[in-house]
Amino acid sequence: MILIISTCKERLSELEYVLPVQKLIKHECKIVHCTNLNKRDIPSANKIIITGTALKDFDYFATDWSWLKVTNVPVLGLCAGMQVILREFDVELSNISLIGPHKVEIVKENKLVRDDFTAYFLTTKVGFGLEALAQVDDIPVLFKHPKKKLYGCLFHPEVLNENIIENFLKL
Amino acid sequence: MKLGILYSGGKDSTLALVKARKNHEIACLITVVSENPHSFMFQTPNIHMTELQAKAMGLQLVQVQTKGEKEKELVQLKQAIQQAKKIHKIGGIVTGAVRSTYQASRMQRICHELDLWCFNPLWLKDQGELLDEVLQSKIKAIIGGVFAEHLDELFLGKEIDKKMVDKLKNLAETHKINAAGEGGEIETTVLDCPLFKKKIKIEKAETLYENYSGTYAIIDAKLVKK
Repeated sequence: MILIISTCKERLSELEYVLPVQKLIKHECKIVHCTNLNKRDIPSANKIIITGTALKDFDYFATDWSWLKVTNVPVLGLCAGMQVILREFDVELSNISLIGPHKVEIVKENKLVRDDFTAYFLTTKVGFGLEALAQVDDIPVLFKHPKKKLYGCLFHPEVLNENIIENFLKL
Repeated sequence: MKLGILYSGGKDSTLALVKARKNHEIACLITVVSENPHSFMFQTPNIHMTELQAKAMGLQLVQVQTKGEKEKELVQLKQAIQQAKKIHKIGGIVTGAVRSTYQASRMQRICHELDLWCFNPLWLKDQGELLDEVLQSKIKAIIGGVFAEHLDELFLGKEIDKKMVDKLKNLAETHKINAAGEGGEIETTVLDCPLFKKKIKIEKAETLYENYSGTYAIIDAKLVKK
């Protein structure tokens, strides 16, 4: 089962940030809002995807994400999802905006994407920490935790880079 | 939250409105009337119908004119949204964007600069499913413009009913057009939907078609009892 964790405060945002991700997943899926997450759902998932949300939405930071430090289930955080992973691992977030399509350069070989690509961004916060796999200028936009299977994309792969989600699901 | 709808009068922005209204209060419609028929951002055929559509729904309309010069038209859009924020106290904008990162990212930037929420409830929706949902939502729209090979003048002015949806889906398969016209292949005008207290009756229209491009321009229309 693939567990999709929504970070969206507004139901209307879920049509934009959760549904398109769900549609890419061919396996059995369960969608849970981050405030309603039952900790027992985590070990029973094969993979976990934490979605993005609207630019003005930061309510998800108030949720308890401490399970990220102890889980062995592979996790992919998308935009807001990446931000919560970074923050949980004590990476400070800076106010830098990336909105719209940007060219992304691969800086480390990885299992999610091989060649440089263009990605669609909607973020006002970035973090410099963990292991950068790809970047826009000097900003890390794709990373992996050095020891765990925790991945994060600062962009929205469901828009222009569906293969990244497909490759994550194959891990 | 009070929301403003970026409204072109077509099926997509009307469907976005229908979805937004389920959880939020719709305070106004925002329309940009572009003089440029090739605008990257805004629909042009029958854009003047938004006045009648707003009246039919009992909603306020914030309308601005633009010459439609690329990027400059965004300044006018921003001014219109600013005006809507001030007058109607909106907290966010809803658009009918489906796939265009050009349109979506520009709207996101404007909303971010104005400290507004931005909602795109049709984002990445499958084109065929979108057309099905237009029908399920009882949105009655006609084709007001065609701008692609294989879409001839016979499409102009026709209602998007089940038969037309099947035809467009078939063309999407055989000729790689976007079934719902996301690539600008078709533009639509809504004449009725459950949010309309009265429906629009076309009194006079003119069909213009040349070189795989044409419009069904509504010259005169009025609201009538449903």
